Amino acid sequence: MIIEKEAKDEELILNLKGRLDTSTSPQLDEELKKSLSGVKSLILNLKELEYLSSAGLRIILSAQKTMNRQGKMKICNVNDAIMEVFDMTGFADILTIE
Amino acid sequence: MDAHSEMLLNQFKDSLPKYKIMRDAVMKLLKETISKNGLFVSSCSSRIKTEKSLAGKLELKGLKYRSLNDITDLLGVRVITFYSNEVDKIAALAERIFDIDWTKSVDKRKMYGSDRFGYMSLHYICRIPKSLYKDPENPEINEIPFELQMRTVLQHAWASIYHDTGYKTDVEVPTEYLRGLARLAGLLEIADEEFKNIRTDLGEYRRRIRALVKNGSFKDIPLNGDSFANYMELEPFSKLNEKIASINNAEIEQVSIRPYLEILIGMQLKTLGDLEDFIKESSEYAYQLAQHQIGGTDLDIISSNIGIQNLCIAHLLKHGHGLKGLEWFYDQLYGKQPRNAQRAKRTYQQAKKLAIIKEDLNA
Repeated sequence: MIIEKEAKDEELILNLKGRLDTSTSPQLDEELKKSLSGVKSLILNLKELEYLSSAGLRIILSAQKTMNRQGKMKICNVNDAIMEVFDMTGFADILTIE
Repeated sequence: MDAHSEMLLNQFKDSLPKYKIMRDAVMKLLKETISKNGLFVSSCSSRIKTEKSLAGKLELKGLKYRSLNDITDLLGVRVITFYSNEVDKIAALAERIFDIDWTKSVDKRKMYGSDRFGYMSLHYICRIPKSLYKDPENPEINEIPFELQMRTVLQHAWASIYHDTGYKTDVEVPTEYLRGLARLAGLLEIADEEFKNIRTDLGEYRRRIRALVKNGSFKDIPLNGDSFANYMELEPFSKLNEKIASINNAEIEQVSIRPYLEILIGMQLKTLGDLEDFIKESSEYAYQLAQHQIGGTDLDIISSNIGIQNLCIAHLLKHGHGLKGLEWFYDQLYGKQPRNAQRAKRTYQQAKKLAIIKEDLNA
């Protein structure tokens, strides 16, 4: 998975490309741990994300919890397959998905 | 200003650091006591009289005061409560922690007799007892009086606006405006009483609902925020959630169920009894839907709302609301968005395979 980072003031945009699964989710976890300090607005751009597994979902939920404490989080450009993952696990209503 | 007043003013200037120490001690004691006793107040504030304000007071009646300690409002503390009966509760706490000078304290709520309305506030002149606070460097702090004002938010609103007019006493106010202020004081007294009654009645209602839920008398309980919250303590969806979780041996992440109350009411469920029937009637279909959706995946984490989400879908389809019903559901859950039509279509197709849909009344 490729993570492209755009940081401006208190906003952080992470563009995720490829597969977010068991083998790649530690990479996202590491990036979030490194970058979230002082961030008030986190945007996860999933435009080029092809696959999301439970491991990836856990990292996204953990990021949401962190951002609930320090600001807000938005997920954007979600394709149908990944939206179905959010829907059928029941998490779509606690995430802000645009 | 006469020489005596000037001396008092200079004494005050020199004593300012002591007043600041005293203010901090009073505020700490008061806030801790209020919090320990489980009371929530609108605000708890303090001010030390400005030199300018004291100079003005001394200009007017300087000879009245022999020493600085005769001026009881150099430190003023104010507690603003939400409800009128809480003024007395705060007063009881103040009596417990401070030494009260009853000769100078005044209950201005009782000043007007039964047929007049105006400023309503309870004023205590207090000192900090040595048993609660001792400062070896400033032992005189225990001798300095301070004024504690206690009143409700509405009484405070009236007092602030009255103060803004610039008048200090009723005799200064032109008669026609005095009548207006008195009418407003009366109106706010009624409002204070009503707020207090609503709070008391609501407390009683909540206790009754809690008891009814505990007894399982669901048919008699209207579905609303209070009954729903009490019912949720019985974890009515946990059995279904666990069954769904067992499909993939998934972990259940606890999330808030609150957004669903409005949806359930929108689905015409009127009592907790209706909600019980809703769970009993649709649980099997809700489970089948989840099995169809996540059974073939490796998803091993689900939200604690998965059960109620699938119950709503199953209920709507079983009752013939079809595609339109699903679209309505997703609009309620996620807010109106173009994607909801697609969501509804996908869920409808999945449900079709499970024979959940009896007859689509909207088709």
